[in-house]
Amino acid sequence: MAEAASPQNSAPQSPAFESPVVRSYPAMRAGDLTLSDESAVTKWLVRAGADGPAADLLGAPFGTSRAVAGGALVLGSRPGEWIVLGTAGEVAATVADLAGCEEQEFCSALDWTHGRAMFRVTGTSAARMLEKVCGLDWSDHMTPEGAVVSASVALVTCDIARNDRDGVRSYLIFCDRSFGQYLFDALIDAGNEFGLSVAAASHSHSAD
Amino acid sequence: MTMSRQGVQPTEVIDRAAKLRFRWNGKRFSGFEGDTIASALAASGEQIFSRSMKYHRPRGILTADYWDPNLMVQVGDDPNVRAGHRLLESGMDVRSQNAWPSLNRDIKAANSLFGRFLTAGFYYKTFMRPQWLWPTYERVLATFAPGGKIDLDTPHAYHDKRYTHPDVVVAGAGPAGIEAALAASGEGASVLLVSHEHAVGGHLRYSSDAADQAALAELRAALDASDVEVLTDSTVTGRYEDNWLGIVQRNHPIAVERLIKARAKTLVAAPGLIERPYVFEGNDRPGVITSGAARRLANLWGVKPGERAVVFSANADGDAAAADLERVGTEIAAVIDGRTGGRISSTSGSSRAVDAVVADGASIDADLLVVAAGWTAPTSLLNMAGDRPVYDPAAARFFPSDPPSNVLATGGLAGDADLDGLRQHGAATGRLAAARAAAVRHRLQSRTARALPVDGDEPAWAPDERVPLGRDPHPELYRADTHGMVDMSEDISSKDLVAAAHEGYDSVELAKRYTTATMGPSQGKLETVNTVAAIAEARGETISQVGTTVWRPPYAPLTLGALAGRMFEPVRVSPIHPWHEANNVSIIQAGQWLRPDHYGDPAAEVRNVRENVGLIDVTPLGKLDLRGPDVPKLLSLLYVNKWMKLGVGRVRYGMMCAEDGVVLDDGVTGRLGEDHYMMSTTSSGAGGVWEWVENWLQTERPDWQVHVTPVTTAYASINVAGPKSRELMSRVCEGVDLDAEAFPYMTVREATVAGVAGCFMWRIGFTGELSFELHVPAGHGLHVWEALMDSGSDLGVGPFGLEAQRIMRLEKGHFIVGQDTDGLTLGPSTGLGSLIKLDKDDFAGKPELAWAADRSLPMVVAIQPDDPDVVPEEAAQIVRGDTNEILGRITSSRYSPTLNRSICLGQVEPDLAAGGTKVTVLLESGERIGATVIDHHAHFDPAGERLRG
Repeated sequence: MAEAASPQNSAPQSPAFESPVVRSYPAMRAGDLTLSDESAVTKWLVRAGADGPAADLLGAPFGTSRAVAGGALVLGSRPGEWIVLGTAGEVAATVADLAGCEEQEFCSALDWTHGRAMFRVTGTSAARMLEKVCGLDWSDHMTPEGAVVSASVALVTCDIARNDRDGVRSYLIFCDRSFGQYLFDALIDAGNEFGLSVAAASHSHSAD
Repeated sequence: MTMSRQGVQPTEVIDRAAKLRFRWNGKRFSGFEGDTIASALAASGEQIFSRSMKYHRPRGILTADYWDPNLMVQVGDDPNVRAGHRLLESGMDVRSQNAWPSLNRDIKAANSLFGRFLTAGFYYKTFMRPQWLWPTYERVLATFAPGGKIDLDTPHAYHDKRYTHPDVVVAGAGPAGIEAALAASGEGASVLLVSHEHAVGGHLRYSSDAADQAALAELRAALDASDVEVLTDSTVTGRYEDNWLGIVQRNHPIAVERLIKARAKTLVAAPGLIERPYVFEGNDRPGVITSGAARRLANLWGVKPGERAVVFSANADGDAAAADLERVGTEIAAVIDGRTGGRISSTSGSSRAVDAVVADGASIDADLLVVAAGWTAPTSLLNMAGDRPVYDPAAARFFPSDPPSNVLATGGLAGDADLDGLRQHGAATGRLAAARAAAVRHRLQSRTARALPVDGDEPAWAPDERVPLGRDPHPELYRADTHGMVDMSEDISSKDLVAAAHEGYDSVELAKRYTTATMGPSQGKLETVNTVAAIAEARGETISQVGTTVWRPPYAPLTLGALAGRMFEPVRVSPIHPWHEANNVSIIQAGQWLRPDHYGDPAAEVRNVRENVGLIDVTPLGKLDLRGPDVPKLLSLLYVNKWMKLGVGRVRYGMMCAEDGVVLDDGVTGRLGEDHYMMSTTSSGAGGVWEWVENWLQTERPDWQVHVTPVTTAYASINVAGPKSRELMSRVCEGVDLDAEAFPYMTVREATVAGVAGCFMWRIGFTGELSFELHVPAGHGLHVWEALMDSGSDLGVGPFGLEAQRIMRLEKGHFIVGQDTDGLTLGPSTGLGSLIKLDKDDFAGKPELAWAADRSLPMVVAIQPDDPDVVPEEAAQIVRGDTNEILGRITSSRYSPTLNRSICLGQVEPDLAAGGTKVTVLLESGERIGATVIDHHAHFDPAGERLRG
């Protein structure tokens, strides 16, 4: 952990963070489905043993997510790998909590904010939209609220977290930043059928 | 046969208030919303819709549905449209196919005169010799090819794709299928009900029976109130392993077709039955139709199919057809009852007459012959699941045998019953499907990390306690005492099949391929059983003994567009891409990356870098973040050189070889902190190297403490190159002494650049110039690029693209893995043999490289053509003198604007690798030119004074 820069220092700051999504999109449409670009949210990657002290502290086993006390959202993205996201302060607090684990096991944390695009798709038809670009089962029993998966979305490798908003189905979709514009457009194309509109980034990240 | 529209029918599906105008072979016609193309034309009195494939015989309506082989038409630029199924739209331009100059007067109908020569195997037998004439044969035969016309300028239509994971898929939406869907849904299963037709209901749709219509209304209301997802005008085209289903959804509001890939936990096959034509002389004449066609025309579209009809009925549907015809005003001249031995023998009469000749030779005047001779069970989905249906001669059709337990049959496919019986069987099937799906769902959830936890043990596999459906007796009616058409799509007669059997093609699979019977657009739905019956007759065996061909996917033909679905073509761009696009860039696609190739004049870009300073966006350069105390051991394992003593802030070049000693990748790795390194790879090798690293760590050295993270696009990478690069960097850089002594070649520093903290700066480059390779947090990449451009305007700063970089790296003699090396190039061949440290304990490829160390290998060398104005093509061969003996090849070549001459890298045999060796290069034009191998790889600044600047 010693090599990790402080999230406060490396989080987007002045000059302004430039999103991978650079095109502009028309105004709201009739449907309830929205897509927003949340790429500016601070995202850290934590690596440690799948069942060690850091795993216990993060409390989000592989395939699940958890909102931690400090406000960050922890996603168990792979065995022994977590994505921590939130405001810079929220993430910093969580990463700082991990410092104590370093003496007990090999672990590391890395700021991934700039490397990963992140989008949120919200609406009752969000699962139907994802069915058009991803081969996974989005039913409530297979991918319930809080579930985290890795999958191909429109042929791009993504991490996806179900993170409902006010009881409405919502997914966070992460991909390599360089694919960001392509994937955003592919999601819009998939969502057109359901009246998708592009919403302003909420930068909201964690379950209520 | 004179067809016409009649008064309103209680069951009709047309909206007579919505008139649609369209064209048929250039003439104006009209129909109503809800009409198919065929029903609208029939209502207007048209009786010929197509010409047959081989003999160009006139063809009319046969089944009036999707499977009708005679209703293939061209709609606009869309060929082979099924007019029996495609709904009429306003403005349609519908044309007949396979007829010239017109449908009614088709010159190629003369083929009929030669019919006895055009038997099965005609092409195979006739056009085999002389072989040299085949190209001519091919050209002529192509003009006889059936089908519509393809317009190559037609824009690609939008096709869509969807994945879904329902508990139960019900294929077929007749009464049994609907009940199955409702029952499964009632048990809590998620259900997808797929209707091949435009509306659910199956045969109830075209039944005029009041009880049937009441049941249909009830079933539709129940569906509307249920959670069942209903797909109409859709077909389950294939069943694959573990109930992976292909479903094509036609005419979706957003796409002409959508391919749905469904993973169903259980599949209910309820496709109903398909009415089978009867084979007799003249059975393909316009005016000979199935009982289903008569009822569809009369009841769905209010069309009277003829004025005077003979009905050949061997079942209740034939009887119902006679009643429906009478209701719409068709005179029933006779009903020939196939159950009591009545038979049709042939038809005769003039073009608009279809006089029926019965078995005793009597002729009955008519213009319509309705045939109800039996059913084919479309067992396709069961076949695809591995089942081999069995034939029951008493019922004159095939029935399921032993399908896998996650595939259940119901409805007419499974047996016979009255409507209530079919509904009850459907409901029981739905409940069984739901119970078995629940067990599968429990298993999947319990094995999937992200899924909801499940309680208890997996439910037991529900036993099949359904009361089996009965089997109504039906006469075996396949062929009369005359020969007729078996396959109207392919113009294959029963006589052809008998002849094929006598020629030795007596296996049904061979006869099918030899004659092409069942291989037309109907895909055997109408033809298979009659084909088997004809072969059985020829062999003197039973249908059971002959067996059937195996129905394979697709159940119904679908377009290549549907199979392709949405065209996902991911592309990657750097954060600086918007700037490139705004500045006259010429983009080149390198893998998935869209990269600047040049900005108008690559040679000028080279000169600017050599004289001033240039910027290139090298974001795609692979970057792996390596953390942990065992990173040096990992680097030593993967690279051929030594890494245990790389100091913090230092950068080292490394070459990776695979286990066979072949060059895998190269790049530099810098030590950013005590346990923190950054490895760079080639742009194209980024993904592969990451997998290579993880493979070694996870399978060979899982005990090592190293975390590897790909961060290629977490950083925007900019190479600032040229003699004025230090001056430019000094204007934007904080916290780093840029002096050559303080920040020498092959070192790395962390810096703040243009106000952006957390940038890494490497003193390396690929151009041979003084260079600073900047790695900026990607979210600020564009800002830093623009800051560099703004700050360096007085220094002559300008962008340069890949082409300029390729030229400069070639001037400098840097090889590119994959271009100057290939899949056989061993490490020492690169000229960097001294880098390979065989005294290391172990590293990837060491045994092979140790073996190679004692051998003469082809070598990568720099080559200069004797004529400085000639640039050999890349891949041009290096040959021995005037012979064609290959001694090597040019791997890279360009004209150097710096040296004003052509320059190359190449691979040559070892005895040609010494500096000063003369070689001969064979150009693509055939010309041979002289060239000279030079002493070192670098054509320019071999001492490296400029880059160390």
